[in-house]
Amino acid sequence: MSKVIRSTAFALTFGYIAFGIVALVLFAAPLWYAWQVTMEDGRSDILHADTQRLTDVFHREGATGLKTFIDARVGMQLPAERILMLADGSLNRIAGNLKEWPATVPAQAGMYTVTLDLSGTPTESVVVRTALPGGYNLLVGRDVAKFAPLTRHFWSGLAGAVVVLSIAGVLGGVLIRRAILARIHSIRQTVLAIVQGDLSHRLPSSSSGDELETLSHTINGMLDQIEQLINGIRDVSNSIAHDLRTPLAELRSRLEELSLTRPTNEETFAEIDGAVADVDRVIRIFNALLRLAEIDTGMRRSGFVQVNANELAAEVVEFYSPAAEVKNVSVSFASNGPVLVSGDPTLLAQAVGNLIDNALKYAGVKGSVTVEVQYRPDGAVEICVADDGPGIPDTEKPKVAQRFYRGDASRGTPGVGLGLSLVQAVAKLHGGTLELTDNSPGLRARMIIEPGALLSGRPRVLTSEPRGGTLEVKSEPSAMAL
Amino acid sequence: MKLLLVEDNERVTRFVVKGLQEAGHTVDNADNGREGMFLAASEPYDVIIMDRMLPGQIDGLHIIESLRKSGNRTPILILSALSDVDERIKGLKSGGDDYLTKPFAFGELLARLDALSRRSQGSGTQTILEVADLRVDLLSRKAVRGERSIALQPREFKLLEYLMRHAGQVVTRTMLLENVWDYHFDPQTNVVDVHISKLRQKIDADFERPLLRTVRNAGYMLTSEG
Repeated sequence: MSKVIRSTAFALTFGYIAFGIVALVLFAAPLWYAWQVTMEDGRSDILHADTQRLTDVFHREGATGLKTFIDARVGMQLPAERILMLADGSLNRIAGNLKEWPATVPAQAGMYTVTLDLSGTPTESVVVRTALPGGYNLLVGRDVAKFAPLTRHFWSGLAGAVVVLSIAGVLGGVLIRRAILARIHSIRQTVLAIVQGDLSHRLPSSSSGDELETLSHTINGMLDQIEQLINGIRDVSNSIAHDLRTPLAELRSRLEELSLTRPTNEETFAEIDGAVADVDRVIRIFNALLRLAEIDTGMRRSGFVQVNANELAAEVVEFYSPAAEVKNVSVSFASNGPVLVSGDPTLLAQAVGNLIDNALKYAGVKGSVTVEVQYRPDGAVEICVADDGPGIPDTEKPKVAQRFYRGDASRGTPGVGLGLSLVQAVAKLHGGTLELTDNSPGLRARMIIEPGALLSGRPRVLTSEPRGGTLEVKSEPSAMAL
Repeated sequence: MKLLLVEDNERVTRFVVKGLQEAGHTVDNADNGREGMFLAASEPYDVIIMDRMLPGQIDGLHIIESLRKSGNRTPILILSALSDVDERIKGLKSGGDDYLTKPFAFGELLARLDALSRRSQGSGTQTILEVADLRVDLLSRKAVRGERSIALQPREFKLLEYLMRHAGQVVTRTMLLENVWDYHFDPQTNVVDVHISKLRQKIDADFERPLLRTVRNAGYMLTSEG
């Protein structure tokens, strides 16, 4: 029972019922008051008019005249509810339809509500007592008992309304409570299942669009994010176990061998340098993982600014172009003027850098790499890096962006297998995706991200710092060979 | 240089102090925030190296903030295991001048300390930089070695300018990435080395005495000596 009392539906129901009753009373009270006042005013007007008429008769014709007048009225079978009586100074009856002067009427002249004995039954009446010259007393009254049922009806009507309101309220409350409880119960079951570790559960959702539905939707969104983060952590822990152990094992055996064989100084120092390089490799992997974790949490979105993706890509291309020259790979950059995105310039530069670095790695001898930045027909922004290397077989395409995955073609090349993961994470952070397609020959990697919302007022285009005429690719459609 | 190291890890302290002394510097060290704060406020140092997380619940950033509030302008290099970009920004905002993430290479630390002490001596108003017979005019953006004018791409010019501003000092690859390109990430490959060798082709190839030297395990140095 206490559970029922504490339930929200219960509290709501009773709150509403109480509110309804208060409203009803507030509505009825002035009505009751107005009715009472009108009734009493009318009654006293009639009684005073009657008194006035009888007093006039008394002044004109004296006590005898009034007696005759009253006798005539009583003889004309005065309606039962009317009270009329004339008495002398010692309150002895002279005329009227009462047997004797009622003892309940006070001695002073005025209007009173008293109980009178009318034809054997005590009846509530309103009377006006008037003192006439010569010590005579006049009593004019009305029996108000016939109004009592009216009052009773009023009160019972009000009570009936309260009862109906309460029953309807309780019934409604029970129904609402049952409906809400059923849905809350199903939400609770789902959440309990999730708490027990099965993150695949989702709250039931229909398309009713009510408040609970909206809440379920929001919670489901939260669960998606949590599941993704947890899977991310799981993936990374697995990958760390697998891929970080390799360089650590190398490092360990190098040091142990050094300790066991005690070679000459020169060899020792060479081995130590090698060991430091091993450690640096581990640190690199750690840094890449931390950067990925930082991106995955979505925290970096707070640092988003308006970035000209075109300029940014051009600078990265310029940064990598000497490396391309050394490899005898030609890099071309094409763009149609400013392409604005809202994003993190450092991450975007790193992602484009990773794509170019990959492309350079796999481009054939005297090969070529193409970088393009443009708006797509649907308004999204596309940064495309294509090479003419061996490409990636379709079966491997979905896997290459996984953490630490290294395709067959990448065996023996430097890298830790996190480059495309980072590109994908950055694309996702910017509300986009990474698409890998065939360039036949080679690979075409497209980073598709949402365009930047135009910040009100003048666009804030972020450049690292002012510099003179970096590249001639800013405005007109042009291609640049590097 | 006279340096202060505020760091609670004994091994790191030993390694850094020994290395700095071998490089010819005087080093004081404090292993807690209170002592660090006291030394930093009472002694004149060229550069302070400040760990972020110190025993006794004192964050290195608090020390830096109070030093800055009391008007102390000594260059401070923050040393921290916190590598997030946000943390880095927080460190620099609190009044630090440079931020180095642990674990670090000693060469990187040394190079950054040199750069910081040089920065505090102030050389920002020069418009002409000279190293031996290499001359760079920052206003007309022209470089001349001996009698010959050298044609440079804008970014190459910026790279040379940075090297010349730090002539005689070791400059690491990360420092070049951060200061010449404004890139705060690992570019995976040795792209910086390729940029340097291209620049070297232009300024050193046809001259008897090379100016741009590679410093093993550290980075590069532009110098007129030896």
